[in-house]
Amino acid sequence: MNDLVSILDGNTFMLSDSTGDVEPSPNYPSGLFAWDTRFLSRWVLTINGERLHELSIDDLQYFECRFFLVPGEPTHYVDAKTSVIRQRSLAGAFEEELTVLNHRDEPVVLTLRMEIDSDFADVFDARESRSLPGRTAKLVEPGRLRLCHERHRHVAETIVTSSEPAEIDADGLTFRIELGAHGRWSTTLRAIGTIQGAGGRDVRENLRGYQEAWPEKRRELREWLDQAPKLTCDSETLDDAYQRSLVDLAALQYIGLTSQVKLMATGLPWYMTLFGRHSLVTGFQTLPFIPQIARSALWVLALLQGGRVDDFRDEEPGKIMHEIRYGEPGGFGDSPYTTYYGAADCTPLFVVLLDEYERWTGDAETVRLLEYEARSALAWIDTYGNLMDDGYVWYERRSPSGLENQGWKDSWNSVTYADGRLPGNPRATCELQGYAYDAKVRGARLARTFWNDPAYADRLEQEAADLRDRFNRDFWIADQGYYALALDAEGGQVDALASNMGHLLWSGIVDDSRAEQVAEVLLDRHLFSGWGIRTLARDQAFYNPVGYHTGAIWPSDNSLIALGLRRYGFAEQAARLAVAMVEASGYFGGRMPEAFAGYDRRRTKYPVQYPRACSPHCSSAGTTLVLLRTLLGLRPHQDHLTIDPAIPERLGRIELVGIPGRWGRTDAFGRGRVHLEPE
Amino acid sequence: MADPTAEFFSRIEEHGPDLLPAKARGRLRFDLDRDGEVEHWFVAVNQGNVLVSREKREADCVVATEKELFDKLATGEAQVLAAYNRNDLTVRGNLPLLLVFRRAFPSPPGTRDPRERIRERFAGRRVAGERERRP
Repeated sequence: MNDLVSILDGNTFMLSDSTGDVEPSPNYPSGLFAWDTRFLSRWVLTINGERLHELSIDDLQYFECRFFLVPGEPTHYVDAKTSVIRQRSLAGAFEEELTVLNHRDEPVVLTLRMEIDSDFADVFDARESRSLPGRTAKLVEPGRLRLCHERHRHVAETIVTSSEPAEIDADGLTFRIELGAHGRWSTTLRAIGTIQGAGGRDVRENLRGYQEAWPEKRRELREWLDQAPKLTCDSETLDDAYQRSLVDLAALQYIGLTSQVKLMATGLPWYMTLFGRHSLVTGFQTLPFIPQIARSALWVLALLQGGRVDDFRDEEPGKIMHEIRYGEPGGFGDSPYTTYYGAADCTPLFVVLLDEYERWTGDAETVRLLEYEARSALAWIDTYGNLMDDGYVWYERRSPSGLENQGWKDSWNSVTYADGRLPGNPRATCELQGYAYDAKVRGARLARTFWNDPAYADRLEQEAADLRDRFNRDFWIADQGYYALALDAEGGQVDALASNMGHLLWSGIVDDSRAEQVAEVLLDRHLFSGWGIRTLARDQAFYNPVGYHTGAIWPSDNSLIALGLRRYGFAEQAARLAVAMVEASGYFGGRMPEAFAGYDRRRTKYPVQYPRACSPHCSSAGTTLVLLRTLLGLRPHQDHLTIDPAIPERLGRIELVGIPGRWGRTDAFGRGRVHLEPE
Repeated sequence: MADPTAEFFSRIEEHGPDLLPAKARGRLRFDLDRDGEVEHWFVAVNQGNVLVSREKREADCVVATEKELFDKLATGEAQVLAAYNRNDLTVRGNLPLLLVFRRAFPSPPGTRDPRERIRERFAGRRVAGERERRP
C-alpha cells in the first residue's frame, strides 16, 4: 500500500495513486467508497491528453489532502510550464478543487479532462472489476454526469458536477481553458454518492441524525482532541503515535444507517465498517482516554444482538455480531455479511467491556439499561456457545460463506497443531475460554451491584471458578509448559504455540502458579520478534513471517497481552513489550498498521510492512493508548485511579494530564526507571 | 386461509414479553401493500408487552413493504435488514425501534438448534471428562 493516498471520513474513503488518479487495480480497492460501495472507479486527470506526475503531496487533515502535479512522465526531464494543484476533501460529498497555473510569460490554451466512471462494486469485488448483476447507465444531464446502477429496487448513483462549465460526455468532463501569462484557473468538482430509499431519496436522509456539514469537520476534530488527556513525554515517537492515534480514532467514526450513535469503522481499505470484535476491543483500549467509544460500541452492539437462529448468518439469540455490511450483495442474499454473527469472542467480550466501562466511568445507568442484553450474552455462553455441552465455548460455522475460524484469528489456517495439521470442527480456542471466564466474573459483579440479583451473581462466580479449574486441567500442556491453542472435537489439545495464550493473562484465567512460565514463553525468541509478539511461534509448522494470523504481529493482540502481563504483576515484561511496540510505531509514522511482519528484529532492523494490512486500523490506533496505560500502570480502583508506573529508562518521563473517569479528571506521571537490555 | 402476517402479529401479541427486552417501548406501523391496497398493522410496544391493531395511526417507526415480502419475514424465510438493504422495505423514523422489534421474527423454516445437530454427530463418540491427549 505504498504510494497510495487516502482520505477518509468514517466509512467513506477515497484511495488513489500518488497523483490523485484512480484506475482499477488488482492489488487494492482504488476509488471513492462509501457504505461498502464504490462510487468512483475511474477518476483520471489529463492536460492536453497527457497524464500528470506528482511533485509533492500535502496530507492536510485525515479528510483532506493536496497534490502538486506537473504534466509528463517522471522518467524524463520535465520543464513544467504548467502546474496543477489538486485539493480534495471528504465531508458528506467528495470535492476536488483543480487549479491550473500557467508559468509561461504568454497566454496558453489547454484542454483539461477528467475521465470518470463507476462500477458500483462491493469493496471485496473491487479489485476484480467483476460486473454486478443489474443495469448500469451513464446519463449526460444539464450540468452534471449521472452514473447509476439498478438491481430491482436497489439504486446506487454517483452525480458529478463542476463549478465551472464543462463539456460533459458519458466518460467524463472536459474543460477548454484559456490562461493569460502567469494566469490561473480553477474549478471545483463534486461527486455525490447516493443509495436510494423511500421516495427515491438517499436512504440515509430518511433517518434522524444523518447530516454532514463540511465546516463542522474541523471543529469536531478540535473538540475531540481537546477532550482527550494531554500527553507530555520525552519520547517523540510516543508523542507522535499518541497524536496520530487520536486523529485516526476520530477519522474512523461514522454515523451508521442503523443507529444514531457514532460507530467505529475498522480499517482502511478492507474493513470500513463496524466489526463487533474491533469495536469492543477499541472501546476497551480507549476507556482511560475517550470513554464514549466504549459506550457507543456497547449501545450499537446491544441493538444488533442476535435474535434468532439463522444458519446463513451464523446467528443465534444473544450473540453479538461479527460485522455489518451495507453493500448491495448482502441485500440480495449473495453474502451473509449484511449482519453476520460468525464470532464466538464478541459475546463474552461485550460483558467484559460493559463491566470495564462502568469501572472507569461510573455510568451505572448504562449497565442497568443494558441488563437484558448482558444477560442474553451470558446465557449465550452457556447455551449456543457451549456447543459440545461441556462448559467450554466452541464454534463451527453453518453459513456456507461464513468464517472457518470464529475467534479473533479468523483466517482458515490460524488454528493448527504444532505439526501443521488442521483440527476438525467444532473448535474451542483457549482465549475464548478466558473471555468466558472473565465475562462470568464481571457479570457476577454487575448482577450483584446493579441488577439486584445476588443469587445469579453467586451462580456466575461458581461457574467461573469451575471453568478456571477445568481449563487449567484440560488446556495446559505439561511437557511443553504452555497452554494449548485449542481443544479439538475429540477433546484433544491443538498444540500450536501461539499468541492467543497472552489473552489468557488479560482475562485472569491463568493459574497463578503458571503465570511466570506463560510470561516467559510469550517473551521468548520464538514468539517475541523484538518488535512484538508474533501470532504464531517461529518454530511451528505453519509459521510464516508474513502470514496474517500465522506469524505476523498484530498491535491489538500485543496490547491485550501487555495488559495481561501487568495484571499478573510482570511490570518489567510489559514495559519491554510496550517499548518495542512504541519503537515499531516510529517506523510507521506513528500510525501502527493492522499487522506487520514477524521477522526477527536482529535480522531486519526495522519492522517490515505486511503487504495488505489495513491502515489506519481502529484497534491498532487504540494500541498506543493501551501502551500508555500499561507504562503508567493505570487502574480504576473504587472511586479513584491508581497509578503504578513501570517505564523503561529509554522512554524517559511520561505525563498524562486530564484522564477522565468517575473521579472527574486526574493526572498521571511517571519516570523511566526500568532498565532493559536493547533488543 | 393461512395468513402468515396475521399469525405473526397474533403470536407476538401473546409472546411479546418473551421475545423483546423489557425496556422496549415505542409505536411501529407496518404498511403492507397488496396489489395497490395497503393494509396497516399498528404495534404498540410497552415494557415488552405488545398490542396490535389494524389502524393507520401515528407511529415512531413506519415500515413500508409488500405484503408478499412481509409474509416471508413473518415465517422467517426473509430477513428484515437484507430487505432493507436492497430497498424492498423502507423505514421512516426510528430505525433502532425496528432493530429491537427484529427479535420477534422467527428463524427460517426448518431451522434446527445447532446443538442438536452436534449432539447427533458426536453421539457415543465422546464422553465428557475423558479427554484423549494427543502426542
